[in-house]
Amino acid sequence: MLARVANNLFWMGRYIERSEHIARYLNVNYFSSLDAPNERSQDRQFVLRSMLFMVGDPVTDEKLFLDEENVLYKIGLDPGFAFSIINNVKYARENANSARDLISTELYEAINKFYHFVLKYPVDAYVKNGLHDFTVNVTEMSAILRGKIRGTLLHDEVYAIILMGVNIERATQIIRIINAKYNDALKAQGSYGHKFGNSFEWTTLLKCAESYDMMRRFYKKTPSSITTLEFLILNPNSPRSVMNSLNQVYKHIRELDLNRTYDKKSTSFLVGKVRAEYEYKLIEEIEGDIQSFIDSILDRLSEISLKMENEFFHY
Amino acid sequence: MAHSSNQIFTSYERNPALLDEIYESNGEVKEIYKKLFSLYGEHSILDYVKLNEKAKSSFFNQGITFQVYSEKDTQEKIFPFDLFPRIIDPEDWDIIERGAIQRSKALNLFLWDVYHDKKIIKQGIVPMDLISSSINYMHQMLGVDPPGGIYNHISGTDIIKHSDGKYYVLEDNIRCPSGVSYVICNRTALKRALFGVFNHYQTCSVTNYAENLLELLESVKPKGVDVPNVVVITPGMYNSAFYEHSYLAKTMGVELVEGRDLFVENDFVYMKTIRGPLKVDIIYRRIDDLFLDPLEFKPDSSIGVPGLFAAYKKGNVTLANAPGTGVADDKAVYTYMPEIIKYYLNEEPILSNVHTYHCSRPDELKYVLEHIHELVIKPVDEAGGYGISIGNRLTKSEIETVKKQIKENPRKYVAQPILSLSVHPTYIDESESFEQRHVDLRTFTILGKDKEFVLKGGLTRVALKKGNLIVNSSQGGGSKDTWVLKNN
Repeated sequence: MLARVANNLFWMGRYIERSEHIARYLNVNYFSSLDAPNERSQDRQFVLRSMLFMVGDPVTDEKLFLDEENVLYKIGLDPGFAFSIINNVKYARENANSARDLISTELYEAINKFYHFVLKYPVDAYVKNGLHDFTVNVTEMSAILRGKIRGTLLHDEVYAIILMGVNIERATQIIRIINAKYNDALKAQGSYGHKFGNSFEWTTLLKCAESYDMMRRFYKKTPSSITTLEFLILNPNSPRSVMNSLNQVYKHIRELDLNRTYDKKSTSFLVGKVRAEYEYKLIEEIEGDIQSFIDSILDRLSEISLKMENEFFHY
Repeated sequence: MAHSSNQIFTSYERNPALLDEIYESNGEVKEIYKKLFSLYGEHSILDYVKLNEKAKSSFFNQGITFQVYSEKDTQEKIFPFDLFPRIIDPEDWDIIERGAIQRSKALNLFLWDVYHDKKIIKQGIVPMDLISSSINYMHQMLGVDPPGGIYNHISGTDIIKHSDGKYYVLEDNIRCPSGVSYVICNRTALKRALFGVFNHYQTCSVTNYAENLLELLESVKPKGVDVPNVVVITPGMYNSAFYEHSYLAKTMGVELVEGRDLFVENDFVYMKTIRGPLKVDIIYRRIDDLFLDPLEFKPDSSIGVPGLFAAYKKGNVTLANAPGTGVADDKAVYTYMPEIIKYYLNEEPILSNVHTYHCSRPDELKYVLEHIHELVIKPVDEAGGYGISIGNRLTKSEIETVKKQIKENPRKYVAQPILSLSVHPTYIDESESFEQRHVDLRTFTILGKDKEFVLKGGLTRVALKKGNLIVNSSQGGGSKDTWVLKNN
């Protein structure tokens, strides 16, 4: 496979995954805030700030009044905002375009439909009452794409590269979501009796990661900070957990690394090392200092991505 | 009228001066179209409008589109597609197929001769001036032996049916002929929309193009290569034919590369893969001659590969089509085709040529200038239907302008009588009804080492504007699925 095209496939995977997480974050936070149990979480300004924080455009000015329609437009459909959903989908399709001969007709058609859906979505309807419809469609279409990736591509190196993109992005987004909700929890501290005791923000967090039902089944009780973080970070059986994503990345990088030689400089070695580190970690070790854990895992993920680019994409 | 009970064709107006492919001269629907005619007649025009919309969105969703560049922005457009197919009976097809192969072979021998001994010129059959003054003549190709002895591996032959019922070749395209992917997509779209109609006809399949192309390419591999590595090279995803490039690479199961993915070392070509360099043996190139290699041709080409031509000259890589083929599909060389066929193959041309006047010959120039209103004036070296003037459509002042242009550079122009292209019922969006539109046919011929193949179908292009004779997609043309019936 061409190095340039591998790069395109990797980023196609990342952008598809990214649009889904942003869309779901908007949806869950907005709609759960409508009947939130405390004033702070119900506050629209609070929710809008959380959304902007999550997409990487935090508002530092506490007094600034945010216009709801503007914020929703910016994150959803603003072609001028680099991190908007519309741009993510556009980039996903552009990357798919240059690898069009390698991906299946079915996958391409699904991406193309996705793109035209977002492109044609009426802005007015979206900012006024279309948020639910738009975000649900985006998450569903991403799920269709994942199905097409799994079901219509030969499971060879093309597949491995795409899934590495998907999984690195998933781990990154889950951490970003945890970070955003952690940040919310810190800010909402005054309104909570106990910093991490409040199950509302943790429930929202789990729903943002589409993991609430799975988590309930696993722990059989209402989520707390410790169970939520354990489930989303360390539980390898939770399909959205960081650990699960790392396992996937490791599996796929091994498929690319046919020689399986002992090479300390390879991406495969690095992924294995990071993975081994978290495999036997206890949540109690993380929970004490969530912020530095978040910072360090984000660093490790971008380190992996960078190493991969150098090893495979940069000729 | 015989079709009064047919809902779809009630408002169909036939101009008796034109050759309508679905009717006999006595106004009866032709035998091969009868079944189709009645099947389509079972639909109401509203059904048809719906089907048409469905077919359009199917093309759009599949991303079978081309880009149109304007000053403001780039638009993604589908190639307009008509749901009423064109049928070619086995007898007619036999002539077309044999004629297309004959021309391809003759052109190939001509090219070999032009770039080697120039016998045809020495014997005075084709004037030297015609070759040396052609901007597509490539002195770098002199004495180069392309692998397998093939120059025009892929030829697109543009054929029309004149009002006399005979097929004429309008031009040969042997540089980078495009359009073949649309032949296959049109078939797919028609099957999706109206699969039932296929039950009543024995239609030849068109999906075997890619396998034949790959077989051809492998037949002209460089010497000493066992299992060749084939690639398709494209100028990139913003090229208007990018869909076709990716389609061909995908269906052949080979890599689609850009110039920046390749490099040349010690006169061998390599591509940059995730596992390091991999040697490339055969390149189906969809970039023009002058952009192939900045070291040899246009120095500012950013889509080519430095050193590619040197590797080609050494015989280490095959380029299909070979560089320099443009000298033979020049519209001025076209006029010598009957002589060229006769000289190399000792055969009579199977497909007729349209009589052509060379403005470079003083007596013919005189005739052209005097009869401009009944002629089509074409620049010899333009593609895509650009620069064509149709005499009887020009105003007085336009005629003067054209005359002036011809006089300034007679070598640049040829003229042909205005042919009456046949017409075919075509669904027109604006009027929501069927109307007569002019059509032509582009066939795709593959020529390899001991191998020849013509895709049984081809691209029927439709001039969608009423009365228009120019069918190119860049000029608002559409297309139809084209059925070649099996010989029973």
